[in-house]
Amino acid sequence: MNHNGKGFYQVFEVFSRKNDTAPLQHQFSLLAPNHEIALVMAQENFMRREPVSDIWVVKRSDIRQMTEEEKEALKRLDNKDYRTTKGYGYLKKKWRQYEQQMLDEKEILSWKGEIQR
Amino acid sequence: MTVITSFERLSEEEKHQRFMERIEAGEKIEADDWMPEEYRLTLIKLISMHGISEIMGALPEKEWVPKAPSLRRKLGIMAKVQDEMGHGQLLLRVAEDLMAPLGKTREEIMQDLFKGDLKFHNVFHMPAPTWGDAGLIGWLVDGAAIITQTNMLDASYGPYARALKRICAEEVFHAQHGESIILALAEGTEEQKEMIQGALNRWWDALLMFFGPDNASTTGTSKQDITIKYRIRTKTNEQLRQDFFTKYVPRILSLGLKLPDETMHYDETQGKWVYRQPDWSQFKEIIRNNGPKSKERLRLRELSYRNNAWVREALSCSSAV
Repeated sequence: MNHNGKGFYQVFEVFSRKNDTAPLQHQFSLLAPNHEIALVMAQENFMRREPVSDIWVVKRSDIRQMTEEEKEALKRLDNKDYRTTKGYGYLKKKWRQYEQQMLDEKEILSWKGEIQR
Repeated sequence: MTVITSFERLSEEEKHQRFMERIEAGEKIEADDWMPEEYRLTLIKLISMHGISEIMGALPEKEWVPKAPSLRRKLGIMAKVQDEMGHGQLLLRVAEDLMAPLGKTREEIMQDLFKGDLKFHNVFHMPAPTWGDAGLIGWLVDGAAIITQTNMLDASYGPYARALKRICAEEVFHAQHGESIILALAEGTEEQKEMIQGALNRWWDALLMFFGPDNASTTGTSKQDITIKYRIRTKTNEQLRQDFFTKYVPRILSLGLKLPDETMHYDETQGKWVYRQPDWSQFKEIIRNNGPKSKERLRLRELSYRNNAWVREALSCSSAV
């Protein structure tokens, strides 16, 4: 393989995680001849300052991206209240009639610790 | 499936209209989206020039790495040089994805640079003879770059906007790195104060030219109307230059420095800075690679490209095993 010719460099997409609980985030792409150099370059190019706990490199040719037309089908209609808490907001008032508080997201996600009586 | 056939069936004019509607609605265009040829070519020219300028821009500064006056200064300027190369890597990637349908790669970008077909920013053709120049580049050249780059943070081309967001975040460090050198010299000996005044005098015209001519009549060509039409940028060259004056002239004066243009003042009635035009014929010569350091820096870049060829060669062998 000629190092100046086409096919030497490949495009890698770089993903990283800030810390162990953070979601994997797309950083950018880079050119490298193989996965190992791509990983070194990823650290040099994108992680010079920010805290980072993990880096992934993926060959772009292994990723099935969406086309412009396919993305059109991702647009949402604003009629999905029944899927979200927004469609159930009236419960707050209802529960008040029974002298109870609504179990909202904030309340439910607080239950991972001790549950207070 | 029906959506796909219907998009394919659109005429070129309908695709163009849909494209304009998208960018006018603030949507971002991605590399594989349909785009007008003029948009693609304008972006390739703009972004490959920007990317290669980051790399050529590291050359005047890297001269000061071995000569920096203290270890802390050496580390600071090394970090900055490394950032500039990183910015070059980001931007070249954006340009390469746009060039891919034309069958062009990084190799062609480098060859175009060596042949003189790909230009780099006028400021990077200039010498940096003193430590004052090193500070001034960080303070004012990066300051000028921040003004032009922040103007494109909302660019209609998504990959460029995302690259600029990363770049501008690091430019904040560059600006403060430059200010730190300049303020140390401004509070130093008479000789040190003269050093920054000398650097300002040397760089003034190049700084004014950095934003490009007011309009095409000055230098024959200007891409600013096209980039504004396609929402790549919002302000004209002159607006950016005025913004630069507004942000930096008061700071320059506050340090007791003198502007190398005795006619310069802010005109309250016109609401703008009045200044002496730099010699635009000189600008044209500089960007044709006839500036004071053009040839030397191009040669340095070409040498390092050639001297490092063995690394690429070695890697291409290992990847074939």
